[in-house]
Amino acid sequence: MTGIPYSEALVNYQSAKSRDLPESDMATDELLQAFHPDYREGSLVSLKVGPNQGDKCHRELAGLLQSDARIDEADLAGATIVETDVLVIGGGGAGCAAALMAEQSGARVIMATKLRLGDSNTVMAEGGIQASIERGDTPQMHLDDTLKAGHNRGDRKLVSQMVMDAPDVIRWLIQQGMQFDLDEFGDLMTRRAGGTSADRVVYYRDYTGLEMMRALRESVRNSKIDVWDYSPVVELMSNESGHCAGAVISNLKDCSYVLIEARSVILATGGIGRMHLNGFPTSNHFGATGDGLVLAYRLGAQLRDLDSFQYHPTGLAYPHHLAGTLITEGVRSAGAHLLNGLGERFVDELMTRDHVSAAILRECAEGRGVRVDENTAGVWLDTPGVERKTPGILKERLPKLVELGRKCGINPAEMPLLVYPTLHYQNGGIVIDENGLSTVPGLYCVGEVSGGIHGRNRIMGNALLEIISFGRQAGIKAAEMTHGRGHKKVTIGHLSKLRRELAVAGMPMDVKGPMLFPECAKFEKDADYEGFRRKKQ
Amino acid sequence: MTDKHNMSEINERLVNVTIDGKAITAPASLSTIQALWHAGYPRIKSVGCLEGVCGSCRVLVRREGNSEVKTQLGCQTLIEEGMQVMFLVFPRPTHHTYKLENINSSWEVQTKFHKIFPEASHCRECGGCNASCPKGIDVMRGVELAAKGRFREAGELFVECVMCDLCLTACPELIAPNHVGLFSRRVTAYFHIRPSNLIRRLEGLQRGKFQVTEE
Repeated sequence: MTGIPYSEALVNYQSAKSRDLPESDMATDELLQAFHPDYREGSLVSLKVGPNQGDKCHRELAGLLQSDARIDEADLAGATIVETDVLVIGGGGAGCAAALMAEQSGARVIMATKLRLGDSNTVMAEGGIQASIERGDTPQMHLDDTLKAGHNRGDRKLVSQMVMDAPDVIRWLIQQGMQFDLDEFGDLMTRRAGGTSADRVVYYRDYTGLEMMRALRESVRNSKIDVWDYSPVVELMSNESGHCAGAVISNLKDCSYVLIEARSVILATGGIGRMHLNGFPTSNHFGATGDGLVLAYRLGAQLRDLDSFQYHPTGLAYPHHLAGTLITEGVRSAGAHLLNGLGERFVDELMTRDHVSAAILRECAEGRGVRVDENTAGVWLDTPGVERKTPGILKERLPKLVELGRKCGINPAEMPLLVYPTLHYQNGGIVIDENGLSTVPGLYCVGEVSGGIHGRNRIMGNALLEIISFGRQAGIKAAEMTHGRGHKKVTIGHLSKLRRELAVAGMPMDVKGPMLFPECAKFEKDADYEGFRRKKQ
Repeated sequence: MTDKHNMSEINERLVNVTIDGKAITAPASLSTIQALWHAGYPRIKSVGCLEGVCGSCRVLVRREGNSEVKTQLGCQTLIEEGMQVMFLVFPRPTHHTYKLENINSSWEVQTKFHKIFPEASHCRECGGCNASCPKGIDVMRGVELAAKGRFREAGELFVECVMCDLCLTACPELIAPNHVGLFSRRVTAYFHIRPSNLIRRLEGLQRGKFQVTEE
């Protein structure tokens, strides 16, 4: 990478006098076309198989969506069959909200999670959660901001429902025992998300997701929900009429397959960060491998916006072993500037994330980035500037940032951090209606795995809102389906159709999906998960 | 955080460590988990967020020339020459159980607390919880405050708690100190967070004051 050498850039940073925004900046569309990774040449392909045949999709994701299944009928011979009303797949915030509401509605609930309850992107969320509660703000403004930031590609109906539900989501979270930062009078504090028109993000320091997950996990543990950990789903099942009717679990504890038959299924598996699209580092959890998209697509669920991903502007660029680690937008929200290797500002830091990321990529591509080595460049996040403006703010409001600084050997109150965009969020996903129901009957999808709310770009705080708002709704609706008659026959029969289609389309049959675990932890067969069985290469 | 994806870029001093009995040589900038991956051991269990907030990767660590064994989070622990690391399995969930909605009013919290966590007042101040905490929380003080009914103050001590359950494993009285801390935080929210700006908005919504145009 070209750029200004680190030590020289540091001198530029320290000696720069003015921190004014340059007057001319590129228009968003032009900037995105030129520098945003979504628009990179060769990164998109057309899907050849399935409900979205002909649609544009990211190349690496397309490979998995059109992959062969990990199992066939023979693997399931003699497998244990367990029955329940509602099966929730995924143990993050969306899964917990859905499971809690389904259980409260009287359903028997099993929650199957790939790792442990709470191991998710939710626990890592920092910035906060959006709810229009301040005097100058309205749900309408929240709606407008969300649609605009998503380049008017979001589903107005879904977003309308979500913004109207937002204040009640906050109340519900408080009732689960979640704390928020309050002012001296006990009112909720709010901060502003990039690309929005009002202070609307409520938060708990930069530990919002941790605080949320702690409360929700404790609620789930103290309920009748049956939690199965280390139980990734390898295939969904359907009944005689194509209604989703359960899932096949690969139990990592005893390396066996278990069939869970359910009246309805809620898919809450999260995003795709660990697929490292376009070779980017990621801010995501170890388990974020896009499993839900693959499972639902095979069963016939329509997806959307598969060519749109969020690269968060402020991932840590250096040191290497922490590359991709997220630094919350709350830092820019608190007034931190972004500075290039010349010590100059180059973008309004509170533009939407796609815009700011593209601007950082531009600075690096055009040689104004801070260069560390051949593969590493970035720009400064001026944390000392924020501390100067509001002494004590880092320690008080952004403790996770301070802790990250400690791990890097940098005191962010004195030294700027080097940042570079990090793969953060899947903007699109499975098409859902207002109840979280996909185009497959009986299959609900909530949280990051679903699509339609964020259009082509998400604003800070709408993800935590979405998971609770739609999680609760889907939980209630899924529980209602338990009154119907049971399934006659539950099978993985859809796989024979899948394999036929893959063969006809000439797809490589050696790729198996879902991915389940990142490359660094991959196994030959599902039975090999336990312990250290892979030989050193 | 990095994984194998960009590991080829790492070009640094190598150190020798033993992780779960496996001798491993890896760059010093790697965490214990990354070192395992680097050496081709595809560890999944006890791996989570890789940022030190999920509490999955509990490890026992002994450093060269020091007989003391420490408990830490594996993703937050960089390997050092001669270090010995052992991953811990997760303990059984605590036997304590409660529902916030079964506490009828804030006047009842103290009584209920001692019913739910009867062991909390038996703390023998052995300090095991404090020694085990990878976040440096004054766990023992938190338990003491909660037992006195000072829940808000107790909860404040647990802001950084990631529910790794190491203190739960360490406590000889089976107090489940992290759950005591979380209980303290949760009752504080449940009974005392009543923001007027939120309540005003909820009332407005109920009266139909705010509509959005759905077209």
